Amino acid sequence: MNNDAGLKQFVAKPARVPPHNDQSLVRRIHSRCFNTPGNSVLTIAVIILAWYIIRSALDWAVFDAMWNADTRRECLNISPNGACWAGVISWFNGLIYGRYPADQQWRVDLGFILAVMWLFPLMSKKIAYRNFILVSWIGLYPFFGAYLFLGGEFGAEVGIIHALFTSLAAGFFILLYANWLLAALNQPDLCERVRPLVAWLFPRGIQVICLLVVWGALSLPVALILSQMALEPVAIERWGGLFLTLIIATFAITMSIPIGVVLALGRQSKLPVIHWMSLLTIELVRAVPLITVLFMAVTLLPIFLPSDMELDKLSQVLFAVCIFSGAYMAENIRGGLQAIPRGQYEAAQSLGLGYSMTMLLIVLPQALRLMIPNIMTSFISILKDTTLVSIIGLFDIMLMARNIANDKDWIGLHTEPIAMISILFFIICYSMSQYSLNLEKRLKADRS
Amino acid sequence: MNKVTSIVAAGTAVFLMQAATSTAAMAQDKASTLQQVKDRGYLSCVIGNSFPGFYSLDKDGEWQGMDIDMCRGVAAAVFGDPTKVKFMPVQWAQSFTTIKSGEGDMLSKGMTWTLSRDTSQGLDFLETYFYDGQGFMVRKDLGVNSVKDLKGATVCVLTGTSSELNLADYSRTHGLDLKTVVFDDSAVRNTAFFNENCDALTNDKSGLAAQRSAAPNPDDYIVLPETISKEALSFAVTQNDSEWANIVKWTFETMVAAEEYGITSKNVDDLRANSENPVIRRILGVEGDLNTGLGLSPDWAYQVVKAVGNYGEIYERNVGTNSVLGLERKGTLNALWQDGGLMYAKSFR
Repeated sequence: MNNDAGLKQFVAKPARVPPHNDQSLVRRIHSRCFNTPGNSVLTIAVIILAWYIIRSALDWAVFDAMWNADTRRECLNISPNGACWAGVISWFNGLIYGRYPADQQWRVDLGFILAVMWLFPLMSKKIAYRNFILVSWIGLYPFFGAYLFLGGEFGAEVGIIHALFTSLAAGFFILLYANWLLAALNQPDLCERVRPLVAWLFPRGIQVICLLVVWGALSLPVALILSQMALEPVAIERWGGLFLTLIIATFAITMSIPIGVVLALGRQSKLPVIHWMSLLTIELVRAVPLITVLFMAVTLLPIFLPSDMELDKLSQVLFAVCIFSGAYMAENIRGGLQAIPRGQYEAAQSLGLGYSMTMLLIVLPQALRLMIPNIMTSFISILKDTTLVSIIGLFDIMLMARNIANDKDWIGLHTEPIAMISILFFIICYSMSQYSLNLEKRLKADRS
Repeated sequence: MNKVTSIVAAGTAVFLMQAATSTAAMAQDKASTLQQVKDRGYLSCVIGNSFPGFYSLDKDGEWQGMDIDMCRGVAAAVFGDPTKVKFMPVQWAQSFTTIKSGEGDMLSKGMTWTLSRDTSQGLDFLETYFYDGQGFMVRKDLGVNSVKDLKGATVCVLTGTSSELNLADYSRTHGLDLKTVVFDDSAVRNTAFFNENCDALTNDKSGLAAQRSAAPNPDDYIVLPETISKEALSFAVTQNDSEWANIVKWTFETMVAAEEYGITSKNVDDLRANSENPVIRRILGVEGDLNTGLGLSPDWAYQVVKAVGNYGEIYERNVGTNSVLGLERKGTLNALWQDGGLMYAKSFR
């Protein structure tokens, strides 16, 4: 090709070596921390401060700490400047379960494990009625959990409707795991198996009836077994600790989404009554501190309700926390709704979808996905806000921690319990935020 | 869109209607407290959030303390079973309303009997089960032996309490010119005192005993001898229910009388079977019909002593010299009348 001798040809120069390519640690530290006299002074000051703080913190929490003692006096006699973790350890069950009787605490563990296990099948994409798992967790599990935690004779103390739902919940749980197992083995699930029989009996609605038949068939034996058992009753006033904190927080978190969606849609509604009622609820609740909402729920709610209907304090608190978190959630969701372009609504309309279908299928999924970081922030703050219920006398983890200081063996032990529950809260909240990051990534990936 | 709206509207209407009917149903008269307690199957006892020696949780989640034992005693008198009691820890401000609304049957939370509380809160105060009074705690190395020596000193105190008002009164009448450092939270106040942010700490003496035992080194602190206020910690029940008031009152009288006549939780079975003393026989329900006027079973007083012991036992167990508070009883107002105290049981006849 290069026959034309007179033609100049472009020859690229070799690339220059990047300046200071030396990426050694010493050099990096030098260029970032000690590049000017001012920065050097700052760096040294920060190091000294950090050293001082970390060293005294470690001295207190680890090196001088007492892990084994019978009373705080013993801790103080041996190591007056260290933490007395022995008190927290001896009260640890109290911090976790509150005043729940020691020999019944396995029920709390079991309830917690079942609640987590209920959600495991979500990991499988093959399982039928996948959407129903979350709905059942919100709608059915609470009945089962309440029976497990409250105890008493089945059906007698909790009421027959409650007993019915408890059996249905247990039946559904078995159904879920059976189907999950069958799906993993690539076998047809239980509903498919009874399909021929149902198809022979009923002309229409086979899918639904199949599910109901299997579900009912599983729930019935469960109900029979449960009715033969009697758990020792545990009054709500004995619930406490992290257990109670998690109940209140989970309840508020799961309820805040539906309440928030309804309020957010209501606020956007063009119908004046609904618009103004939603607006009023949101603004009223958001304009007052949670503690006043809690106090009002405890003192005012009994006045509004019929006098023969006695609500325990926990229900009043759950009501207050749900309303409160719902109002905040509504504004998060409204933010998401406003980010959905008008074209989406129009496209849905042109497909012939009505209002509810447009919202359910087109708008809300996108709005909620957009708002995941905000929603998760709300969740975390709800979890932390629940510690306020200690002020109205529910023995949540905060109040249990404060009671340690008044126990005759551990009198005056304030700091260590608070440090302990800070660590617990950090673990829970940090995992929540990590989960939300994970969720964001996954949903974004699905989308593109 | 219309369907959704109508559902929402219907729901709202139902809710509003329910709210309206329920407020109308509110006006109902109250049954007597004794009947309420018996129907409910347990006694509902109003206490505070926790206070060492008087009402506090142990690590198994059980309540213990002097007020707790008093409530257990009343439960034993009514049901013959000291476990049939539920404790309601409430905030200070809520204690009166809890009794008035009938949610709580008796108040036993170390509340001081004062004229204004007795007359304008819808309560009847009954019996004083602990005579307390405000005192001062100082560091030993200050070399102070009397409050009079505290001239110009700084004093740590909880804000909004009667302690704060008493302190101001005392400082003015005695020309002490005390400077107050106020706190919202007792834990913070104690830490401030132990860190020498103030010279003295003022509180009820039982509270001072608790705070002293929580100190890093209790021997470094002394409680000064002066008592500058009258704090008669008493039971309260709802106003104008003598039937119920009698039960609470005589349960306490039983505890004091039992101590006077030497009945303890250990020898009560023996005395009930073998005692020839007519007073003891009347108290324990072996003879006489003292129970009929109270509407309780004949062995009610036996049940009280059996369950929680006499007053002396309760005192020693919870606040006495071997307890965490370590309060000496001898020579104080809480001793029996024959020992110079104010505990004087009325006649069981």
